[in-house]
Amino acid sequence: MKKNLITVIIAALLVVIFALLLFTFQVRQSEVAVLTTFGKPADKNIDQPNLYFKWPWPIQQVYRFDQRVQIFEDKFSENLTPDGTMLLTSVYVGWRISDAKEFFPKFAGGSVAVAQQQLEQMLRSAKAAVIGSNNLSAFVNADPAQLRLEAMENEIKDRVQNELTAHSYGITIEFLGIKKLGLPESVTQTVFDRMKSERQKLISAAQFNGEAEATKIKSGAEREAAAVIANAQAAATRIEGEGDAEAAKTLGTFQQNPELAIFQLQLDALKSSLNQKSTLIFDERTPPFSLFQNLPADAATK
Amino acid sequence: MSDHKHHHHPQPPLEAQDAGSQALAEALRSSFVIVKIAMAALVVIIFAAGFFTVGPQEKAVILRFGKPQGEGQKMLLSAGKLYWSFPYPIDEVVRIPITEIQQVKSTVGWYATTPEMELAGTEPPPGPSLNPAMDGYVITADRNIIHTRATVLYHIDDPRTAIFNFASGTNHVFNLAGVSNAVQNAANNALILTAARFNVDDILTRDVAGFQDAVGQRVSELVEREHLGVAIDQCGVVSSAPRQLKDVFAQVTEARQSYEKRLNDATGDASRILSQAGAQATSITNLAETARTNFVSSVASDAEVFTKLLPQYQSNPRLYAELALAKAMPQMLTNVQDKIFLPQRADGKPRELRLQLNREPPQPKSAANP
Repeated sequence: MKKNLITVIIAALLVVIFALLLFTFQVRQSEVAVLTTFGKPADKNIDQPNLYFKWPWPIQQVYRFDQRVQIFEDKFSENLTPDGTMLLTSVYVGWRISDAKEFFPKFAGGSVAVAQQQLEQMLRSAKAAVIGSNNLSAFVNADPAQLRLEAMENEIKDRVQNELTAHSYGITIEFLGIKKLGLPESVTQTVFDRMKSERQKLISAAQFNGEAEATKIKSGAEREAAAVIANAQAAATRIEGEGDAEAAKTLGTFQQNPELAIFQLQLDALKSSLNQKSTLIFDERTPPFSLFQNLPADAATK
Repeated sequence: MSDHKHHHHPQPPLEAQDAGSQALAEALRSSFVIVKIAMAALVVIIFAAGFFTVGPQEKAVILRFGKPQGEGQKMLLSAGKLYWSFPYPIDEVVRIPITEIQQVKSTVGWYATTPEMELAGTEPPPGPSLNPAMDGYVITADRNIIHTRATVLYHIDDPRTAIFNFASGTNHVFNLAGVSNAVQNAANNALILTAARFNVDDILTRDVAGFQDAVGQRVSELVEREHLGVAIDQCGVVSSAPRQLKDVFAQVTEARQSYEKRLNDATGDASRILSQAGAQATSITNLAETARTNFVSSVASDAEVFTKLLPQYQSNPRLYAELALAKAMPQMLTNVQDKIFLPQRADGKPRELRLQLNREPPQPKSAANP
């Protein structure tokens, strides 16, 4: 009896495993599944991870798709702006299968690679339309108000998304951005020539402005210095004037006898003028050399 | 069973059959024992196979019926513990090569080079132009071409999003390659769009930090907008003039340094001129003050002397004057350099005196006085 019980348990276990394999399927976190019944897809996508029931083949069949964001980068494409600049652009697109039951019948075997080929064609025409309606100043500009790169990204994304929705491809664009922005190879050489010329101008300007600025700074300082000295001289004159005014207060003293005052001043002036490196020419009439002519006795007799 | 055996025992042909059945039963019994042992071993193996560890450079996530277990950072199982999961298809252990800090580099704006050249610090020789298929570059707001590249360090903020929301190809492998690709594209886009609104000199010299910050900010914005489940820790940006124009860019730098030096020199000269003028002005006013003091003192002392001499003068002005003059004469004559005595002519007529004046002899020529 015990042996039979074990046999029954083993058999039941095998049946359960076999039934699980036949009647259930698992959807992982990253997947979305489409269940077909006699080849006809169900109305709903199975996009939540769990264990699900199904009838065995050939009644029902499960098709699984990766519902993660696929990042796709297109090739460089050349487009002409309205102002005649040939621009090379490349964009990256984050897209996902948002509706597997629509995606599945549109692309052979639900192939992501085939879907991306379709996406690239749509991108090419969307880029041509958007880039073809924006001047170069909308691509590169120091004024943020005129720069339209983000707006262009949104326009390209919207155009592609609208087309995908219109054709019910079951694809959603999550994000789109410009990956590369370039110029044709021959143009880069022209840009280098222009850049070189601009650099030469900057070198000349730096040299010229250096001299001009330095001269301006120095002449400004000299002018300021002259003003400082002029002010000092004016102050000195004022100080001297104050000294004269103060000295004039003693004028009353000299007025007691102006002759003596003048004599004293003349004597002092004579002393000062006959300093070194002066030449004095005199004769017998000049005191004290008058002694050579007249002795005091003679003078007395006179 | 034993009764049944007992009833058939007397019949010899059946005896042989019983022996065969018995042998078969024995064999089956042995087989069942083996099966039981095998099953027991299988159960043990299945149970034991459920144990797993996590390596130091990876994290693990348990998917139960395809659904990640745990939320946020708790979803990620780290090294240092022994874990157990149910066998497949109930549980599935997904291992993700992941470190605390992830790194991506954006070279969309950099010229084609090799890791060997990078290590050696050399660069490929420049051609006359840039091939857009090989050489990366960015276009600046003033329509110049430069090279720039970014290194972005980030960490996983939302593991469920970062690991399970981005594909890394058409396979169903779980890793961070998909989200890493998305971060790299965000950095690529940030470089292109930020350079498009900065002038070349701002990127290369005048506002290097501003450009780097703007790129980092744009990367963070994109990461948030695109729901990548990561957080940016650092964004380093390196920019360079095109190799074709390195010389001329260096000359501009040199000219600008020379400009700065001239301005610094001029500012130094201006400071010196003003300082000297200030000193001279102080000297002028000090001299004036001294002169005023001396003059006032001198006049005061003259007045004092005058007051003392006045009585003597008033008593005999002529005598006083002659005495004073005679007293001063020796001092004056001592100071005089040349004294010429001109005697009176015998006939009393005045003499004619002719002087040839040459105050200072000319100085000999020298290096200091050319």
